[in-house]
Amino acid sequence: MNKNILTRIAWLLALILVVFVGDRVGGWLCKQMVDESGFRYSRMYTGKAQCDILLLGNSRGLGFYQPTIEEITGKKTFNLSYNGMTMDLGKVLVEDYMEKYKAPERLLIDVTMCDRSSPEILATFVPYIGESERLEQLIRDTSHTVATATQLSHLYRYNSEIFQRALYYNKGKIDDDWLLDRAMSNSTLEYIETQKYRIDARFIDVLKETIEYAEGMGTKVELVMTPYYPPFAKVVKGLEAFQSEIERGTGRKIRNYVYAIEDPNCFGDFQHLNKKGSKVYMQKLKADGVL
Amino acid sequence: MSLILLSTVIDYSIGLRLDKEETPKARKRLLHTSIIVNLGILAFFKYFNFFIDSFRDVLLTFGVEASISELNIILPVGISFYTFQSMSYTIDLYRKKIPVERDFLRFATYIAFFPQLVAGPIVRAKDFLPQFQRKIVFNWDRFNSGLSLVMWGFFKKVVVADSLAPFVDLCFEAPETFSSLHLILGVIFYSFQIYCDFSGYSDIAIGLARMLGFDFPENFRTPYFSKNFSEFWTRWHITLSSWLRDYLYISLGGNRHGVFNTYRNLMLTMLLGGLWHGASWVFVFWGFLHGMYLVVQRLIEAPFGRFMDAIRAPKVLQVGLSIAVVYFFTCFAWIFFRAPDFTIASTIITRITSFEGFHVSTIVSKFMALKGLLLIGILLAIEITNFRFQYVSLLVRKPAFRLAAFALILWMIAFFGTFGANTFIYFQF
Repeated sequence: MNKNILTRIAWLLALILVVFVGDRVGGWLCKQMVDESGFRYSRMYTGKAQCDILLLGNSRGLGFYQPTIEEITGKKTFNLSYNGMTMDLGKVLVEDYMEKYKAPERLLIDVTMCDRSSPEILATFVPYIGESERLEQLIRDTSHTVATATQLSHLYRYNSEIFQRALYYNKGKIDDDWLLDRAMSNSTLEYIETQKYRIDARFIDVLKETIEYAEGMGTKVELVMTPYYPPFAKVVKGLEAFQSEIERGTGRKIRNYVYAIEDPNCFGDFQHLNKKGSKVYMQKLKADGVL
Repeated sequence: MSLILLSTVIDYSIGLRLDKEETPKARKRLLHTSIIVNLGILAFFKYFNFFIDSFRDVLLTFGVEASISELNIILPVGISFYTFQSMSYTIDLYRKKIPVERDFLRFATYIAFFPQLVAGPIVRAKDFLPQFQRKIVFNWDRFNSGLSLVMWGFFKKVVVADSLAPFVDLCFEAPETFSSLHLILGVIFYSFQIYCDFSGYSDIAIGLARMLGFDFPENFRTPYFSKNFSEFWTRWHITLSSWLRDYLYISLGGNRHGVFNTYRNLMLTMLLGGLWHGASWVFVFWGFLHGMYLVVQRLIEAPFGRFMDAIRAPKVLQVGLSIAVVYFFTCFAWIFFRAPDFTIASTIITRITSFEGFHVSTIVSKFMALKGLLLIGILLAIEITNFRFQYVSLLVRKPAFRLAAFALILWMIAFFGTFGANTFIYFQF
């Protein structure tokens, strides 16, 4: 064979080898960083998340403000909530948690997370794909391409916002008090009328399975609807139907706090409480016996 | 497909006739036929509904409510690009700058050559057709440098442009919900998104052509390092700006008939350049802004230079300031280019200039923002060091460097890449 062609083939093989080895070494290094992180899912999968009250929701579920709950109840908390969290992912996380730890006394779920499916959010959880067969299966079912890509490249597993967050909490920091603390500006308030937001119950069955799984482990489950800024809640279409569909589908009563807080200073935006609002909300949950 | 075939057949036939025809009047008639057919097709498929819509709005301002309905027209892919390519052939033939192409297959290949068909670069006949005369043989050096460009193009598109896109999209969807600082970041991100998206496509096209044995002209040359707007247009979408200069600006008289006519020609060229991008007034306004920048630059260039000399400002400060000013105004124009309408554009400008929430805590997607800034930093670092090291030639000469660079790009694509269904922005033009 021509020497020139042999050189080219050798170069190509060397490239494949360098790319493969670099990818695996890089992936291994990233995994060490994720494992050592104080980010909540890292703590959960490395056995550092035992709690009495388990919390679950999307970004609104981050309003289950842990420092206040721990202060007013004296109990340990752990929050599984994440921006855009979907119920199918929430179910996997709850089941993984229950499998690793002693069942908590209570599981508090903000049911407004049942309104959407999101393969994109699922894909951001790929850094933990090696930790959970359930998670891997869910990602495979939702996005086969992403699951295959994580096999092909280990570096790709860390191509997500979750990894960035894990890096942020890498130096002994933990995220128990993480909540976007800001106030709505006057100009933001002017735009309420222009908002269009529809809420549809899509994951009732998955929610029901999650409740039954937790109850089967001896955990008391509470379903709530976290406050929206009331003038905004009025423009959300399908909110009442959403509640009744979930109550009918799960056979459980939902505690509705959608209109519970009126002060605009308690909100970071129309859908999210800030720290001030979260503290007020937690006091209400305590007073109502939810916590 | 039938449209591109129609343009090809017409311009090929007109080319043959132009070659035989000697009388100026008949040659001009042939040229006009080519221009009318090409621009007619473009006007109908790209601008018909826009014209109807605008005409209806004009009537409405006079109180006349006209019920002219729009047509359901699908914009043919790449029409703006191949129309300009095809026209450059007949115009250059008319100007006797190039010989006629008698081989239909070669001419059709020139019009529909796949790497640049959809989004450029706009290749001139005088640059492409002579390449058929030489023997095209496979060459490893060409292949390597072409492949390097393709990989660099993918890096710009998949790693930088597509990672910035979600942040930018949110800013331009609901600007009223974001703070001043968040929107400033959104506009900066868009400036790099569109640069990496479009220049990334150009790099891939140029690289593929090179691997196949053809040379395409350069389309971008680090445009955000331009020190004035004339320079910007010799670095941004070079093949379009040089096309507009040679076939429109100079045809209008260029700068040969006094100051007023020069400014008029500049404005007309940039307005039509804006309209070329899309059937919307925001694109026209974007062109208007760039026209204004060029006019104002010509007006203040000399006194500004004298002022800088008088205060003995260091050269590095002058250059840095010039680059910053050009970048600032380019970003301002990008707001109109990206916004779906003037309402969104004005909301963005109003909110940015209110300086309300000018604090890092008001940036909503901090992790996305951080990743965006990091990637822009990497891009700029590579582009700045490339001035000194000339990476493409290093990639061809040094196999070990090539291996390391290719591996690094592949790792970065895996680690930072955004893999969605994001098409190239310029496909819509």
